[in-house]
Amino acid sequence: MTTRVGALGGARDLFGRVQRVFARERGNFTWVYLWSAPIRAMHWIAAACILSLIATGFYIARPYFATSGEASAHFLMGRVRFVHFAAAAVLVMTGIVRAYWLMVGNQFERLPALFPVTGKNISNLVKTAGSYLTFRPDKQPNFVGHNPMQQWSYTAVYAMAVVTVVTGFTLYGQSAPGSVIFRAFSWLPPLLGGLQGIRVIHHLMTWAFILFIEMHVYFAIRSDYVERAGVVSSIITGGRYISIDHSYEDYDIAKVPSHPWPTGEYRAPGKSE
Amino acid sequence: MIMPSAHQWVEGETLVQHFESRGISRREFMEFCGEMAVILGIGSAATPRIAEAFEAAKRPSVIWLQLQECTGCVESVLRTESPTIGDLLLDVISLDYQHTLMAGAGAAVEKAKQAAMSANKGKYLLVVTGSVPLKEDGMYTVIGGRTAKTVLEEAASGAAAILALGACAHWGSVQAARPNPTGAVGVRDVIKNKPILNIAGCPPIGDVVTATVVHYLTFGRLPAVDGEGRPLFAYGKRIHDQCSRRAHFDAGQFVETFDDEGARKGWCLYEVGCKGPATFSPCPIFMWNDRTSWPIGAGHPCLGCTEPHFWDTMTPFYGRLPDVGGFPVEERADTIGLALAIGAAAGVAAHGAATVFTQIRRRRSTNQVPESTSEEESHNG
Repeated sequence: MTTRVGALGGARDLFGRVQRVFARERGNFTWVYLWSAPIRAMHWIAAACILSLIATGFYIARPYFATSGEASAHFLMGRVRFVHFAAAAVLVMTGIVRAYWLMVGNQFERLPALFPVTGKNISNLVKTAGSYLTFRPDKQPNFVGHNPMQQWSYTAVYAMAVVTVVTGFTLYGQSAPGSVIFRAFSWLPPLLGGLQGIRVIHHLMTWAFILFIEMHVYFAIRSDYVERAGVVSSIITGGRYISIDHSYEDYDIAKVPSHPWPTGEYRAPGKSE
Repeated sequence: MIMPSAHQWVEGETLVQHFESRGISRREFMEFCGEMAVILGIGSAATPRIAEAFEAAKRPSVIWLQLQECTGCVESVLRTESPTIGDLLLDVISLDYQHTLMAGAGAAVEKAKQAAMSANKGKYLLVVTGSVPLKEDGMYTVIGGRTAKTVLEEAASGAAAILALGACAHWGSVQAARPNPTGAVGVRDVIKNKPILNIAGCPPIGDVVTATVVHYLTFGRLPAVDGEGRPLFAYGKRIHDQCSRRAHFDAGQFVETFDDEGARKGWCLYEVGCKGPATFSPCPIFMWNDRTSWPIGAGHPCLGCTEPHFWDTMTPFYGRLPDVGGFPVEERADTIGLALAIGAAAGVAAHGAATVFTQIRRRRSTNQVPESTSEEESHNG
């Protein structure tokens, strides 16, 4: 092994070692198409929206920058609130597109896919959780799409987004009493301890999103490293390579449809020259 | 100039005649009518209509019940440094029964109340301050040997409409705060079959009461209300959206402690717990004590006293967000959220590390060498 100099070289070495711990699978792979272009676009638009909503939301909750001088010279909170509301509107747009795709999407995108409730799914959920808890990726059931644990966490995120959007719009409507948004959500504050109750739920949801993002990023990257599942690339290119020597819980490998792009022999990353 | 007088508004006399006898000029009277039209949000064009209604108004019968309360609302509504026409109006109409203000006492006034109620059955206006305790059969408030609930139900049965004045009559106020030991509730929780108007606040602003009475005398009905039963002309907008310090909020200029530079410059009180963004009230416009000032104007954050259950939902008064239930005061939502976020970050890091190490151990124990190692080294070399 050659010696590399510097922190970057050291980091590369470390990543190389970690990578080598998880042996590459050999065999015949095929590329399957999972996520349609609108789904992928909505994922990244929503991700950008949620990150900006978190940053602006924390400013609105506790302003971490202050201005000085005449008030007329500044509009900091006003601008931050504008970005927050605009990002929320875009997030709602992604939700509407996603809801439409629940009806017209493929088997991995449709409404039933959000609720893996059959007995087999539950037992796979337990097995998956077990493999995570005992650090045994080899004991994990194979899925082409989301495994039940993954799916339930994403379904929960949709629910969290609905709660956050509804509480957010309730607060937003207060500046215009009698408006459509105000009227649409006026039933909510009395149920949840008034506007302050709404506000604290909205605030706690922000933290829930932060927790989700931490775990989501970790599990997605881990899945790429450990399970060689290609989930990170699947939300960019739309598909992933799967070994045709394995069986999958949610996909009949015997009926792999021929796909125009990019099928063929699997090549390990970093060996392309 | 309002003359103190032993002469009371009597049957047969119109309100304008009574005002004249108390030294109020026609100009002052018209000014008052115009002001009321503006407060009610019906425009100054309605001034002649209000004046007309007043000229014809005969003395309405008003019964004022004080139940479980502190008398603060009566103080707020009736007592000011220099009485206005509005004060006089409230003073002169609330004659039939008001147990704090009336000279008589005991069985005689209870008898007078019964007489007034039966004489004006179905026509009198019932003003209620104070909540109704329901626990222990209502024994926490007993007036003339009868519980607040009995007194209220009896008076409400013959009333044309009810003005629930103040936070106590609205929803129970401080005595209804958790754990609500006396089972205090507002008028609307006891009386279901009468129109009830909630003049919210602890205490409410006198002008709101005056304007509501003017509306009732002019149009013969109660003004339009919001979902809380509060008149929209007064409670139609948030304090935050009418606030004189709002420009500082939009600019990002906040008071952080009560003695900092921002506080001296009159910046926004948002960070020290102002509940203006959650409170519907006319305080910034009507203000208090003859429009002298109001809490935020004086540098104190709004407590949200016009909103139901504000003792529970608006506390801590000097904090932005409510405490999360069951945790000590210091453990606010952010502390919990941050702890969980750090915990999750540490958790995923530990989980990742553990995955790597268990994998290495398994490889070693099965003596399985990753096959790509040699290739990769030659490739790297």
